[in-house]
Amino acid sequence: MYAWGMIEKELVAASTEPLILSLLARGESYGYELIQEVKELSGDQIKWTDGMLYPVLHRMENNGWIKARWVEMENGRKRKYYSIKKDGHRALKDKREQWTMISAVLGGLWKGEQHV
Amino acid sequence: MFNLEQSISEWRGKMLSAGIRNPDIVEELESHLREDWARRVESGESGEQAFERAVQGIGQPSVLKHEFAKTSVKKRAWLKRLNGIIDAVTGAFGSAPSWSTLTPGARWTLELARQEAPRLHHGFVGTEHVLLALLALEEGVVPNVFKRMGVEREAVRRRIENWVSRFPLSKMPGRIPYTPRVKKSLSFAAREARVSRNASVGAEHLLLGLVMEGEGIAGRVLRDFGFSPETIREEIMREADRNR
Repeated sequence: MYAWGMIEKELVAASTEPLILSLLARGESYGYELIQEVKELSGDQIKWTDGMLYPVLHRMENNGWIKARWVEMENGRKRKYYSIKKDGHRALKDKREQWTMISAVLGGLWKGEQHV
Repeated sequence: MFNLEQSISEWRGKMLSAGIRNPDIVEELESHLREDWARRVESGESGEQAFERAVQGIGQPSVLKHEFAKTSVKKRAWLKRLNGIIDAVTGAFGSAPSWSTLTPGARWTLELARQEAPRLHHGFVGTEHVLLALLALEEGVVPNVFKRMGVEREAVRRRIENWVSRFPLSKMPGRIPYTPRVKKSLSFAAREARVSRNASVGAEHLLLGLVMEGEGIAGRVLRDFGFSPETIREEIMREADRNR
């Protein structure tokens, strides 16, 4: 379902929504650009199967986290831009707390081990 | 000779026959396909090869159909399981410590914080009262942290009292409650103690909790004096090594 480099696919899948929300919190964007940004930011470690991003975006739209609008480009092509909504910011805050928490728990356990 | 419009038209046909009939979805995927194709051609691929790869990138129509069908349906099973694990972890680590898990020093600190509040005419126990109580400790990790940081506890005390004197007087209810920021700092303290495998929550964890909370008066004052979670964690570990 998802292609991945070194990161396990469950982890890639679970991080998709927080990644999208975080990127959209920085500003409006569209599918192709989101995929490129994640590729770049992760140094190619997180690779989405391009097409699979869109069902996720639609699900997030159904959740009321993000909204979409079509924009016509100068060259006549169209792009669907997504932006984050209030509920999306709230969802992002929750997810951020959860990921930070897990990271802190693991970090603490591993830090302790070094001292043994 | 490769013809983009013809190829896209054929691709649309495949999407439709796989059951992806929502024009909005097909339109969006097509927009992606065109963009990916254009970038690939720009970087030197032939039109035909670029199209083939872009179509591959979008994925099998039948798989896509399946994924889109699920968007309105419930969460996938593995995602539910993962969320269950996350909830279990955050639940276990995210609550304030119970009285029985506090060390005598931590208990004494919270008792004193409760007395500091009415002394300053405050009807709540805020982070500033907890910090004032911590400053009064004469033994243990907390005074050592201040010593090592080269921070006069008296200076911190003056800063807080300066700050809070600008607050208006408020009425005294019967049992004064903790502010949400204190509760938050306490849950941070409890978590830190657990994560660092301490059986109980000490006064030093309360101090760390205040810095981690960061937005209350105590957190801001401590930051002004150069405290960070890392400096306090280091000191706690150093102290633990010393007592080993």
